[in-house]
Amino acid sequence: MNSRAVRLIAGTVLKESLRRREMYVLVFAACSLLAIILSMDFFGLRGLSKFYREISLRVMGLTTAFAVIVLAARQLPRELENRTIYPLLARPIRRAEFLLGKLTGVLLAGILCFALFMFIFVLGSLRMHVHIPWIHFLQHLYLQVLMLAIVATLGFLLSLLVNTDAAITICTLLFLLSAVSSMMLVNLYGYMDWLGRRVLIFLTYFLPQLTLFDLSEKTVHAEQWPPLQASVLLTLSLYASVYIALYFIGALVLFRRKEL
Amino acid sequence: MAESVIGVHEISVSYGKRGKTVKAVDNISFTVEQGECVGFIGLNGAGKSTTIKTLMGFLFATSGEARVFGLPAGTPSSRSRIGYLPEVALYYPFMKARELLELYGGLSGLPKQKLHEKIPAVLEAVGLGEKSEILLKHFSKGMQQRLGIAQSIIAEPDLFIFDELTSGLDPIGRHTLRSLLKDLKATGKTIFFSSHELTEVEALCDRVLIIHKGRIVRDAKIAELSAESGSKGLEQFFIDLVHDTEATHE
Repeated sequence: MNSRAVRLIAGTVLKESLRRREMYVLVFAACSLLAIILSMDFFGLRGLSKFYREISLRVMGLTTAFAVIVLAARQLPRELENRTIYPLLARPIRRAEFLLGKLTGVLLAGILCFALFMFIFVLGSLRMHVHIPWIHFLQHLYLQVLMLAIVATLGFLLSLLVNTDAAITICTLLFLLSAVSSMMLVNLYGYMDWLGRRVLIFLTYFLPQLTLFDLSEKTVHAEQWPPLQASVLLTLSLYASVYIALYFIGALVLFRRKEL
Repeated sequence: MAESVIGVHEISVSYGKRGKTVKAVDNISFTVEQGECVGFIGLNGAGKSTTIKTLMGFLFATSGEARVFGLPAGTPSSRSRIGYLPEVALYYPFMKARELLELYGGLSGLPKQKLHEKIPAVLEAVGLGEKSEILLKHFSKGMQQRLGIAQSIIAEPDLFIFDELTSGLDPIGRHTLRSLLKDLKATGKTIFFSSHELTEVEALCDRVLIIHKGRIVRDAKIAELSAESGSKGLEQFFIDLVHDTEATHE
């Protein structure tokens, strides 16, 4: 594996996301959040730490996930459309390295978003004298990064199967519906025939249960919940790794034989 | 006997699926030897770009075999010795010319220090010496093409493959490019390029391959073609050859 090639390609994705100013929308959202919080303090609305935590984590999760989905789903189609892929793949690099570089770049952009939000979150907390449950918060961030890695690899895979708009839509729907999909599948199971149940079982395993990576509720109500044990974090890391590997291999199989 | 730099043996390339396939390249064979400059000419859709893309590994031959430096075409090791200029390529508009060459040079395995030394000289050679810190979104088509040539020569490859060499270049750009190619040729590099500019081909090449409807219809040295075409020139010779081939097929 040519790690320098992966680094260079990842750096290009990161540079693109910064220079094309797409991430600035997130900066704007983060600043708006801070402004709301500061104005709440201005009006003397104190004691809203749980509300503050909840809003911050929701905005952080949703905005970053959407940014990662859009970035991931657009990477390959945009390279093909603009024909920038030709001089790149004319170099002595493997398509796997190219794909891994792209994925790494998208993830780094997502992590950069998180870092920005974390800064805003901490700044707001200090301003409002809100206690930050650091262990819960960092565990939440770690799991969100895993979730983003799953969503990003799925975005890459879908962008090789369907057009960009469809890939973004499907990925976004999966992300948004993940909160209710597992409950919905359980409820529907009782009403299904044999074939329907097999389909539901397939969907349960094929679609990652993204709610497992959402610790926002626990972080909001940190006083009532202990942090996750290391074994749980390890299991979730393995669970995420399986999906990331499966989607990445799927994307690679399609991309390796793709005619350019 | 030494291995040819490019060896294409009975390759065919088809597009499309489920019975609606179009044969873009039909059982062609040719070789390009070390130090040769070979022009690849043909009408639009004749199969030039398809052949070149197959040599680069962007397309896959449905039959036959293509080798570059004795290695299967399209593998990273064969590409490590190629400088490639695509037919139409845009370069990342959010990057500067220097950054782009750092990226491509880095991907070709050049060390950072060497890149820092080489980039100003390469940009100077293609007439972009003053433009290294300008974002590429401000580059004209001709400047993009010059940058394309710069990225193809940055890693000092042994073989140059140019698809539509002079596309988008103004007369000064063509002159610069011609001098550059003559310098490369003088150093023993191998050059294989497609072009619609037959005067350019005549001025630069040792040999010409003419492709029509996916088949090589002529493979001859420039001196032979010049003698054969006489006063009418390569352009008229090419037109006559295409008409003759059409008539034979009908």
